Amino acid sequence: MPKNWKSFSIFGGIIALLALLPFFTKRSDVLTWSCLTLQYILLSQSWNIIGGYAGQVNLGHAVFFGLGALTTRYLWLAGLPFPVSLLSGAFIAAVFALLIGIPAFRLRGIYFVIGTLVLAEILKVVIDTRFPVASVLPAEMLLTYSLVPRYYLSLMGAVLAMIAVYFISHSKLGLGMMAIREDEDAAKTSGVGILQYKLIAFAISTFLAGLAGGIFAFYMVAIQPGYVFSPIWTFDSVVIVFVGGIGTLIGPIIGSVFFVLLKQWLSLHLPGGLHLAVFGVLFILVVLYMPDGFIEAIRRYGKMMTLGRKPAVQGG
Amino acid sequence: MVQFLAQTFVNGINVGALYGLAAVGLSLIFGVMRILNVAHGEFLMVGGYIGFWLFKLYGVDPFMGLPLVGIFLFLIGIVFYKVVFSRVAKFHEEVKLKNSLLIAFGLYLIFPQIAMVLWTADERAISPKYSGQAFDLLGVRFGYVPLWNVCVAIVIVLAMYLFLNKTYFGKSLRGTAESWKAAKLSGINIEWTFMITFGLGISLAGIAGVLIALTQELTPVMGMSWTLKALIVVVLAGMGSIVGAFVAGLILGIVEAVSAIFMGPYTIAIGLLIFLIILVLRPRGLFGRA
Amino acid sequence: MLEVNHIDVYYGELKALWGVSLTLDKGEIVALIGANSSGKSTLLEAIAGLLPPTTGEILFEGVRLDKEPSHRIVEFGVCLVPEDRGIFPGMNVLENLELGAFSKRGRKEKEEILHVVYGLFPILKNRRNQLARTLSGGEQQMLAIGKGLLSRPKLLMLDEPSLGLAPLVTKNIFEAICQINQTGVSILLVEQNVHIALRVAKRAYIIENGRIVQHEQAKNLLKDRRVRQAYLGTHSA
Repeated sequence: MPKNWKSFSIFGGIIALLALLPFFTKRSDVLTWSCLTLQYILLSQSWNIIGGYAGQVNLGHAVFFGLGALTTRYLWLAGLPFPVSLLSGAFIAAVFALLIGIPAFRLRGIYFVIGTLVLAEILKVVIDTRFPVASVLPAEMLLTYSLVPRYYLSLMGAVLAMIAVYFISHSKLGLGMMAIREDEDAAKTSGVGILQYKLIAFAISTFLAGLAGGIFAFYMVAIQPGYVFSPIWTFDSVVIVFVGGIGTLIGPIIGSVFFVLLKQWLSLHLPGGLHLAVFGVLFILVVLYMPDGFIEAIRRYGKMMTLGRKPAVQGG
Repeated sequence: MVQFLAQTFVNGINVGALYGLAAVGLSLIFGVMRILNVAHGEFLMVGGYIGFWLFKLYGVDPFMGLPLVGIFLFLIGIVFYKVVFSRVAKFHEEVKLKNSLLIAFGLYLIFPQIAMVLWTADERAISPKYSGQAFDLLGVRFGYVPLWNVCVAIVIVLAMYLFLNKTYFGKSLRGTAESWKAAKLSGINIEWTFMITFGLGISLAGIAGVLIALTQELTPVMGMSWTLKALIVVVLAGMGSIVGAFVAGLILGIVEAVSAIFMGPYTIAIGLLIFLIILVLRPRGLFGRA
Repeated sequence: MLEVNHIDVYYGELKALWGVSLTLDKGEIVALIGANSSGKSTLLEAIAGLLPPTTGEILFEGVRLDKEPSHRIVEFGVCLVPEDRGIFPGMNVLENLELGAFSKRGRKEKEEILHVVYGLFPILKNRRNQLARTLSGGEQQMLAIGKGLLSRPKLLMLDEPSLGLAPLVTKNIFEAICQINQTGVSILLVEQNVHIALRVAKRAYIIENGRIVQHEQAKNLLKDRRVRQAYLGTHSA
């Protein structure tokens, strides 16, 4: 694919620069900000796969993030080598997804959405009740805690997500998923194995979400088990994907950067959790007026201003 | 033993009536407009808090204040419809459903924050002087407030039934729920119908909120769990059946009360689990039509 | 009375009507004939306000309809009985008829018109408490037309009234249509059953692929050889 070499090299260049970041700065706020952004890229891309490309709005995404986080955390603190714990977490998330995916995907449209929402609530209640105590890193680990390896881990996670989405979008699987998204009935008659494709997309999506959870579990000093199952993680992913551009490769990147920046800025200037309210409003605006994403809308507006004429709008 | 079961049954009805009332508004909005208002519980919470304010700041008895809360939330519902949901209502089925769900999801994030600013995260409740009073009948305790709640809920559901089946406008709502195209061609103003329906549904949510605040606490984050309760009830009953929704609410209340005996803090999960099972096996619900 | 001037109508992203024009005078029955997907239903839906035209205009008694919402078009006296009948299946016959009179226009003489409709279709009176979905095809069509009449239309548009109906039932329906016309209601009729359409109509338009291709007196079209071959040759739809 010679024509993609330019984008590949740009991408590679950016990764290289990012990899060198810890050498340029030891400031913990920059590293923290970068870690978070990269983790959000991973998480939002994972939702993008099932919600953006396959068109199945999964409002229970937090469940898989949480499963990955808790599994990784407990295994790691129990003494298992971290990489094993991390992969186990992601794996458990994906297995759970497949288990519930089989009945869940029998539900069409809104029933699927409601079902995922309810599932998330059930798990949150169960976890909150069963594991009310926060998990805190033991003293020796606290002493050796360093942001740098966590940064690299987050970077690897984000890159993995980008590669996964790239390959999906250019593969037969991706085509099938998008066909299902556009018109499930038509896809079925064209011979697309609906349940198969949905399950595969779901498995990949939740594996990455579990991975994100595991990385988060490694990153955080203390974790309240119920917190990683909080719907806020679903909402963040959904907002990022929508704002950045749903079903696109770079959408989640733009969305994540924008999101983390805005969040930092807002929480400095607004009391308590009001920044969440602002995001809620922004999100609604995006859904209503900018179906292609906030960034895309700005781009088109900018183009319109410079060219001096309205962009072509299709009726309907 | 019999007494214990009877008491459980009564407790179940007390809570179930609230579930049912919470579900009626949701069912109405979905039936007529095909919008699944996942922020239903948020409006319920707002209603509860408004009732609380009326009581705390102006000494208005919560039951007397119900019409006020109802009207106020009706207006809020109309505003929200005009500003937010009307844009979505015009899309095709799939997109609209998805978008309205997302929007409601957004509201679900906004409302608790605003509520926290206005009322703080402390738990509140509406506790008039007659709050804890009860009477005993055959060894079963009937609290005055829960009893009133059940009566009010029944009256409201009855009123809704009469409205939808005996009034011209109510019939036009049912017609719209059956077919938008047929409704439009009959000279029914769909936009107007949607607006009123949404207002009505939200109003019902608000009223339910006040009744809930009389027997449980109000917190800024209570919205989602009530939305889910209402969702469960509506799916159990089948969308579009108002009386069915109320009955299903009662059933859910009783089932929960009974299973609480065995399951303790996991009780909430039982309702949700039943819901999921019904959803997968019979999406049409117990009373619903296709 | 009705003037459709060069309208273009899109169905989603597809163009369905290309510069279609049509007129109808007071008291007339005009037929619109064409094959499946030729645009006949689209034209009626455009007039009824369900699908706004992107160019051109629709005038009814001098008033522009094309920018109005459908419920206001019913107020002007234009009523469409669509192909899928436009009835409320979960409500009973009486409720359906009553809702037909929902507009201000219809409410004025609801009781009288109801009486007329029962006179025209006695079976509806018998079945007035029955759910609409339990009626037979012919009864549903009668209900649909009756419901349309309750809006006191000046112009009644009928989309395929004979669809799926046995010949005898079709005959009854069309007798009723003629009776309705005789009371002064103009009729715009879309029909696949060209035979019967050309017998009741005064004039007819032939539409093909979204364009009007012919416009003639009905009796002349009956004799036209091309029309006979294309539309009257076989009796299957």
